Amino acid sequence: MAELAGAFAASHAPLIAREWETLTPPTKKKIVTAFGDMKARIEALSPDILIVLAPDHWVNFFLDNLPAFCIGVGTEHGGPPEPFLAPKFPHKAMAGHPEFARHLAETAFEKGFEPSLTYDARLDHGFCIPLWQLNLDPLPAIVPIFVNELEEPMPTVARCFDWGRMIAAAIETYPDDLRIAMLGSGGLSHSIGEPTMGKIDEPFDRNCIDLFSRADETEIAGTLTRALPTVGNGSAEVRSWVIAHAAMGCQGFELIDYEPVPEVYVGCGWAEWRKSAQSGDS
Amino acid sequence: MTDYWLSKMMFDLQKSGDVQAWRADREPFLAQYPISEEMKQAVRDDDIAAIAPHVNAYLLRFYCGICGMEDAEFIAHLRRMPAPEKTANG
Repeated sequence: MAELAGAFAASHAPLIAREWETLTPPTKKKIVTAFGDMKARIEALSPDILIVLAPDHWVNFFLDNLPAFCIGVGTEHGGPPEPFLAPKFPHKAMAGHPEFARHLAETAFEKGFEPSLTYDARLDHGFCIPLWQLNLDPLPAIVPIFVNELEEPMPTVARCFDWGRMIAAAIETYPDDLRIAMLGSGGLSHSIGEPTMGKIDEPFDRNCIDLFSRADETEIAGTLTRALPTVGNGSAEVRSWVIAHAAMGCQGFELIDYEPVPEVYVGCGWAEWRKSAQSGDS
Repeated sequence: MTDYWLSKMMFDLQKSGDVQAWRADREPFLAQYPISEEMKQAVRDDDIAAIAPHVNAYLLRFYCGICGMEDAEFIAHLRRMPAPEKTANG
């Protein structure tokens, strides 16, 4: 039987790659240290599969067909097409895990979701900036899950809790002995292409961290649902964190680091949900 | 209100990477899409304030990059716009 060994979350500001050579040393050190810490934690879990949750930034999908959730079920996934990231990224393609991805899709349908599927995903900076910085060795099979965190209407926060629980159920019911880790990519606060572009809402970010540390699902969903329309549009990506949080049973959150980084326009956060911190693990 | 065809043109530009042709002459691109004359003129004029309410914010950012606009200039355009009552992320 498969096991969800742990879950993580990390920011994916494109300027981390686009401006990498010119970022100030303290910013670079902060990013390298946080991702280095996360790399050690993930590699200690020896995952066979890494489920990565991120939005698609107009690479695979457009307004003619925009899924709320989409599962990458292909044998492999293409690397980032962005010119600022492709030359830096060490993989032209990444192996998928079509058997588990198919099981995940079937579980979703059984549990009242109708996600779209893709056999031919390109993974943009939302997926690949964390993977680039983590530089996992070996790179586990990647099962990408696209979450619409970019264009309204988006999945509600409550629905993201349900989606996270569905993923956990799919892992529990997969018959093979696989160790699976999860990475929610995105957030925390940022504002892109709107009048507040560049603004980081640190109180919102600190509140998110506090909520994941102590609050129940009702409080998190209520608070985020009220707050998200009032903070920068990129903050919508906190849904990736919510899904990871729900998959881990809403327990075990541990902040690795947080720093508002104006250089990359993002309140950058790194976190782990530790299975060992949970009670009643199966 | 989302302008589908204006968004489609920006999406196609991003996909094709046809940056130099776009920067040299926008008219052949504009002619391919049923975009309103008002929006075509906004594109010709780099009137970001007129365009922004009708396209996704991330798509707009990519588009302005294709036009050769640095972030500082893009942000200056955005700052001159009235702040929305709510951002589109709920």
